[in-house]
Formats: sequence, C-alpha cells, structure tokens
Amino acid sequence: MKHKWAMVIDMDRCTGCGACVVACVAENNTPTAGEEEAGKGRLMQWLRVSRFWKKEGEDTRAIFVPTPCMHCEKAPCEIVCPVYATYHDEDDQVNAMVYNRCIGTRYCANNCPYSVRVFNWWNHQWEKPLDEQLNPDLSVRSRGVMEKCTYCIQRIRRGKETALKEGRKIRDGEVVPACAQTCPPGAILFGDLLDPDSAVSRMVKDPRLFKLMEHLGTEPKTAYLKKQKGPGR
Amino acid sequence: MLDRRDFLKLGGATAFAALFGGCDRIPKKIIPFVIPPENTALGESLWYASACRQCPAGCGIVVRVSEGRAKKIEGNPLHPVNRGKLCARGQAGLQALYHPERIGRPLKLSGPRGSGKFAETSWEEALSILLTGLKKLQAAAPASLLMLTEPMRGHRNLVAARFMRAFGSPHRIAWDPFGQDALLAANEAVFGIRDVPEYDIANARYLLSFSGDFLETGISPVHYGRAYGQMRQSRPTVRGKFVHFGPRLSMTAANADVFLPIAPGSEGAAALGIAHVMVREKLTPSAAAAASLWAAGLSRMTPEAVGKATGLLPSDIEAVAHEFAGNAPGIAMAGDGAAGCTNGTYNLAGAALLNALAGNVGRQGGISFPNRLAAFSRFGADAALLLPPPESGFASVRDSVEKMRKGTYRMALLSGSTNPAFSLPAPLKFGEALLSVPQVVSFASFLDETASLSDLVLPVPTFLEEWGDDIAPAGHAGDALSMLQPVVDPFRDTRQMPDILIAAARELGGAVAAALPWAGFRECLEKSYAGMGVNLEAARRDGGVFPGKTPAPRTAPKAQRPSLPVAAEAEFEGDPARYPLFLHVYPSIAHSDGRGANLSWLQELPDPVTTAVWRNWVEVNPKTAETLGLADGDGVVVASPFGSMEAFVVVHPATAPGVVALPLGQGHTRYGTNAANRGGNPFSLLPVKADRGSGAPARQSTRVSLAKAKLAGSLVRTVNVEGQWKYENIL
Repeated sequence: MKHKWAMVIDMDRCTGCGACVVACVAENNTPTAGEEEAGKGRLMQWLRVSRFWKKEGEDTRAIFVPTPCMHCEKAPCEIVCPVYATYHDEDDQVNAMVYNRCIGTRYCANNCPYSVRVFNWWNHQWEKPLDEQLNPDLSVRSRGVMEKCTYCIQRIRRGKETALKEGRKIRDGEVVPACAQTCPPGAILFGDLLDPDSAVSRMVKDPRLFKLMEHLGTEPKTAYLKKQKGPGR
Repeated sequence: MLDRRDFLKLGGATAFAALFGGCDRIPKKIIPFVIPPENTALGESLWYASACRQCPAGCGIVVRVSEGRAKKIEGNPLHPVNRGKLCARGQAGLQALYHPERIGRPLKLSGPRGSGKFAETSWEEALSILLTGLKKLQAAAPASLLMLTEPMRGHRNLVAARFMRAFGSPHRIAWDPFGQDALLAANEAVFGIRDVPEYDIANARYLLSFSGDFLETGISPVHYGRAYGQMRQSRPTVRGKFVHFGPRLSMTAANADVFLPIAPGSEGAAALGIAHVMVREKLTPSAAAAASLWAAGLSRMTPEAVGKATGLLPSDIEAVAHEFAGNAPGIAMAGDGAAGCTNGTYNLAGAALLNALAGNVGRQGGISFPNRLAAFSRFGADAALLLPPPESGFASVRDSVEKMRKGTYRMALLSGSTNPAFSLPAPLKFGEALLSVPQVVSFASFLDETASLSDLVLPVPTFLEEWGDDIAPAGHAGDALSMLQPVVDPFRDTRQMPDILIAAARELGGAVAAALPWAGFRECLEKSYAGMGVNLEAARRDGGVFPGKTPAPRTAPKAQRPSLPVAAEAEFEGDPARYPLFLHVYPSIAHSDGRGANLSWLQELPDPVTTAVWRNWVEVNPKTAETLGLADGDGVVVASPFGSMEAFVVVHPATAPGVVALPLGQGHTRYGTNAANRGGNPFSLLPVKADRGSGAPARQSTRVSLAKAKLAGSLVRTVNVEGQWKYENIL
C-alpha cells in the first residue's frame, strides 16, 4: 500500500507556543543538548518554532514558523549522501534515514536549505532514571549520526499494522505525528496525499498555501497556509 | 517481564553487538533503521486517563504506559477543557516523574536549618517525628499550627481543610502568585458574581485582550489556545479579529491582528476610553441605556484624555470601539499584566464593563458564568472546599510572615509547587521568617527553595503516581470532574499528603480522627464518589465524569446595569530620576512561576519571542537600548529600590519605549542542577505591594535602572542558525 504523507501547517492558527517541540522531543527520544552545546548551535530538537521579526509600516511584528523536516520530493540532502543513509522511502514517500549507514559526513545537513537536520556530536546520556521515559518504538542515536524529523514514522507503521490486521485502508486522521497530536490551536494537519478525500488533500488546494523557499525547487511536502491578513487598524 | 517479542529484539541487538564489537555503548533496544525491517514488531501499550497538575488549568491527560513505565503524555480527547491537546509543560510532566533529583526517601535535616543538608531516614522515623510534633501541639496550642500549600482542589483540599479545622487551627493558607483575585473582585463589582467567567473564544467574532497572555499562561492556556485556533479558521465565512493592548509584544500579542502598545497599568483607562465611545455614540442597546455610567464619570474618559494616559492614538480608540460594538459577539479579557498592577481590579473591571456594554454576557461567543459545584451539592457547606475560588492568598501570606516573626506558629506544614520562598517579593523575607518557626515539615518531590528551609521533608508522589480528583477552573460548564489515578507504580518511596494527614488523624484520635474517617485517601475518594452515584470504573477509564447535558449558566444580576469601575492610577515605586524604566514582569511560558525550571525539556524549549534557552534575559526597546548604550547580548545589572539581579539584554523591537520586561521563572538558588544558578530571580526586584481593589500581589509596580556589567557566559538563542533565515527568503 503506497502513501504520500504530507503536512500542512496553518500559520493563522499557530500561536507559537512550542507544545509541538516538547511533544516531538518526548516521542522521538531526542536528547537534551545542555546550555553549552546549545550555544554552539547544537540543539537536538527535530522541530523548531522559528521566529521572524517583520517590519510592517510603523509596526514590527513577530511571525512564528514551526519548522520540521520538509520531506522534499526533490530532497537536496539525499543526493549528496555518499552512503545512501538518507534516502527516499518508496512506500511512504518520506525522506528517511538509516542510522547505521550514516558515517557522519554531514553533507546532508550542509545541503539542507531549511537547517532541520541535527547531528549527534556526542553519545548523549540520559541520567538514570530519565531513560525510563524513552519511547520503545524507536532507537536512540549514537555519536556521529545525523538525525531529523521522520513524520513520526513509528506512528505511521503502527497505523499501517493496525489497518492491515483489520483488513482495511488507513483512515484519514488515524496516523498523527506527536506535534500535530498535541498542537493546542490545531495548526498542524497531517495525512496522505494519495487519499483524495483526506483533509490534507483538501488543504493543499487552499489559495493560502505556500512552501518554504519554494524557488529552490525542492518540492517540500510540508506546506504552510499563510497567516490571513486581518482588516488591520 | 521479557516477552517473546522483546526476547527477539534483544537477540537481534546481541547479534548486532557481536558483529560490530568495536562500537561502544550499544543502546539497549536496537531498531537501527528509521523504518525497521518487517520482522520487528512494535509492542503494544496501555493508555491510562488522568489529569495534569503541571499548572492549575487542570487539563485531562492520557498516558502511554509500556511495560510498567510511562512513556508519553497526551491530552485526553474526551476532556472538555483540552479535547486531546496539551501544552509543552504538560508534555514535560514525565520528566518530573523520572527526575534524577527527585526525593525518594524521607529527609531529616543534618546541618543547620536552611543549609539544605539532609540525610535520608525511614518513613517510620519521619512519621513519628511528625506525630510527636503534632501531638505536642494538639495538647498545648493547636492554633499554632500553620499549613501553607499551593491552591488545591477536589478532595485533597477537603482533607487538608477538615484536618486543620478538626485540629483546631485557623491558619490554613494557599499561596498562588498568579491568583485571580483581581478578576474575581472586578466581576463582583461589575456583574455581581465573584467568579471566573467562561470565555467562548471559539465562537467570538472580535477579541479584545488587555495585557492578557492567555495563549501562554493564565487560567487555561490550552483551552484558550484551542478555542483561538477555532476562532481564526474553523468557520467558513468568519475569521475572528483579535486586538491586543499591552506594554509588551508577548507571544499572545504577536498573534493579534492589531497590537497597540500602551503604558503599564493603563489597561483600565484604555477600556473605559472604548466604553466612552460606545456610550457616546449609543453603539449597542446596552450602551444606549447606560446614561448612568456617563453621568458617573465615563463622560470624562474621552479618546483624547485616554490617549494621553495610555499613549494610544484617539483614532485607534474610536476605531476599536466601533469594531467591537459592531462585531458581536465579542469578548474583552484582561490578564496577568493588567491584574498585577496596583490598580489591577480597575483594569479588569474596565474589560468586564466592555462585555456588559456590548451585550456579550450569557451569549454564545461571549462570556458566561457557569453553574459550578452543582455536582457537589451533597457536601453542603463543605462543597466549597472542593472548588475554592482561585485566589492568591497574598494578604494571608503576608500576615503569616508577621506571625512567624512574632512566634505565633510552633509548627508549619508546607506543600505544593508555588514555592513561596522563591515566588514572594524578596523584601518580605519569607525565608528568613520561616526559619524562626521551630518545626517545619515539607511535603515535596524536589528540594526547592522552600523545602530546603524545613527540617523534615516527606516525599510525595508526582501527579502521575497519585489518586485524586479535580475540577478545572475554566473550560467547561462547571460540572466536569477529572479523576486522577496512578498510571505507573509509585516510582519512589513516597506517600500522598492526604494519606499522611489521614494516617496522622487516626493517631491523633478524637475530633481529628472523626473528621477524616477513612483508611486512606483512595477510600475517601471512592466512598465520596460512590455516594454521589458516580461509576468510578467508568470515570477512571474516561479520565473523569463529563456530563453531556450541561447546567444552564448563572445569570449575572448586574450585567444589564453595570456600575462604573472606581478610577485608580497605577503606582510605581522608585524615583524616576534614579530608576527611569518601568519594569514589566511576566510568567514564562516554560517555567510559569518557576516550577518548570528543573525540567530540561522546558529549559531547552526556546522562548517563543526571544528564542532564548537555559537562562534569564531582559527585553529592552531598541531606542531605549541605544540611549543607554546597550547592545543585544550585553550583560546588565537590573536594579530596583528593593534588589538587583543580573541578566542579558535582548533588544526587542516591539517592547514599549521606557519599559523593560523580565520573564519570571528562572533565578533559582536550589531546585536541582537544571534550575539553579541560571541568572537572577525577578521576584527579588519586586516591592511588597498589592492591588488596592483585591489584595492580589502587584508585580507591575516598580521602576528599575539598567547598568552595563560584564557577566560570565552569554545568552543562547536559537534564531538564524545558518544566517540565511530571513523572513524575505522563506517565502
């Protein structure tokens, strides 16, 4: 069964609260970098809420852009990996990583225009008993390995297994990544573009749709809906 | 237990380790591919429903438990407050459960009081120390027992209250730095109801917010956040408009269509300016009928006069008034920034008055006052103990500090995460006063600033390991009960405070034992709810009792004829010549009053507006910074007449000039390695001042000065990692 998973983030709903960031950390066994490493730009979060200052006439506005992996269809990270550690998965159309193939060249991160890849500079430790929290559905990554948002592939797999067991197709909304699950204002929508009736399939026809750095031709599958401009003053 | 699947997984791991023997630290469970091969199957988990206690909002949660360990917290889709959603702080509740620095055994002081030096002891010894103290007190002077807790709801509050009443001490205080006193007082003055209203943001067409960071902190951020998303995009033809007034561009303000910066403490004036235009132009039926308000002084609040007091353009006030009146239903709400001034009640009453004038009270998309406690009428006079009003208790705490110094108390029982030694204004010298109480017993999970001052610490479970019940203060029709159950076996050797109190009562005998006639807290809950006809099994499965049929809201007696709030100006301490800048403090979205600062996930959650992690900062307007010769990232000493602290400057393009803003939450001296020594504590800058109308702590009430200083380290922020991240480039 083939799928084409995609995410649509409605910036008119997003408040910038960061619930998605912590949900992602909890779901995906993302280590804590600590202040010193964070100062070197080595935060390990797979999803960040980028904040931009935007000048609008007299006013300065802050704009929040939740930025997970874009899962590009023409992914710049894939073509530079010398060992095929990052590749395009055929069944799910996600941009996936094989951790134990990764040799740590970091070419992929260098070539990612969205800066969403994070590198394990260390063997991160979970001080006991914090390791009890680790999600058993996926591994922790060791030193020298690149990692990034997987669209919560373990949840996709669980959805597929359940559907297979029950002899049916995956229902729209059945597979939800941790960020979309928790998002209080419901800004993150996730689904299968090959399902013509799914909510994302409808949302990608929204005239507000745009993609980050569309001009680069990476064809991201994570898309955004523009913040609607209110009537202003 | 190792089942067959795990055995196979581990077998795979061992084979892998044998093959690549050179790699050190093979993770215990290896699924090395992002998409693992077909033969590794995902294990099944159980999901238990409970309620979150990371903040007082009381969201429902479901917790994924795998092989006896909690793995993930998510919102409970059935719970009316959050409908499956959860905030960052709620998600991080797991880290409190598995915190390496959690107190796992009772602790007895082993150095001088206040040194923070403790030695582990047994529960038998700890309980006998507690009981000996209580028995001595019971015989000699029962009224010299103090119980100082965080605000509690449900049966744990009932147990504590009955214990103290039967013991014979009136000194039971609940301290919450962000209590809603001003909101309660304002609603009493304007509507005749002393209660927290229900804001139907989802169905509103127009939302006016006065210094209320309701999407970040406050009464129920997840509930309001979810409703905000619906207000914006869930209706086919309506997109609610959101206008924010306030001294600082907070995350909430950044989401507004229009952000109008105003002088600190002038929120009430701004609201009355809008009310003036509504009444003058008779924009709504209620406004047309409000001639008495006009005569009472509203006529003086002209847009020009208000513009001068607030810094707003008169044309903006006129425009907002017309839009608010013309786009019903709407909501005007004011939050902590407005409530925390010395004229807090006035500010909040101004917002309440706008709701009355626009006719928003009791209608869909407006505000209403739910019929709370209907579910608990059986308890008679004790029903109020199950849902006490969300007050700060500031006056009582100040009074208790006096009494500590005078030696009124012989023993103090402390509990909760509001940490008074950290979150009270430093000039009050709470910690010093507490040291003069002969015996202090803390019920705590962590050695925070307050627990460190005690001589006996009894470890309590986290909310994921305890029995309980809760009634959320907002987000439902007043009758939704949440049930807490242990989702995992207690991870440490802990006992719940109500359990300890019930056990102590049994030993004390007499009236105290009669007041708490249960074997334990679980039995107390079960007997109580069985008596109410609640199917406990179903309630625990669903995370509570959420009736489909909701009781009709209460009618607000004065909503048709509101009275004009008594005008009051915000007062600020400090000579303007020496302390030229207004200080605006706000609860941080990650740490609130400081309780989240010991969790690394929250320390590493970038602040939405500044994107700073792990440390404190002070937000300064670019023009103000230029005048002071300060650049972004510089170290400064922030000084008020009451104290000083160090912080790094963040040049914030949308803070009002003349105002500096500091987030609360950092600045711990205790509370573990994640929390301690991360900059100064802004509570140390604050005067001991209260809102004149309600007695709530007035945090926005001092001026400060900034002086450049060389500080060790730097402020870490996460923006512009690669430099190419400019807004123009991403579109």
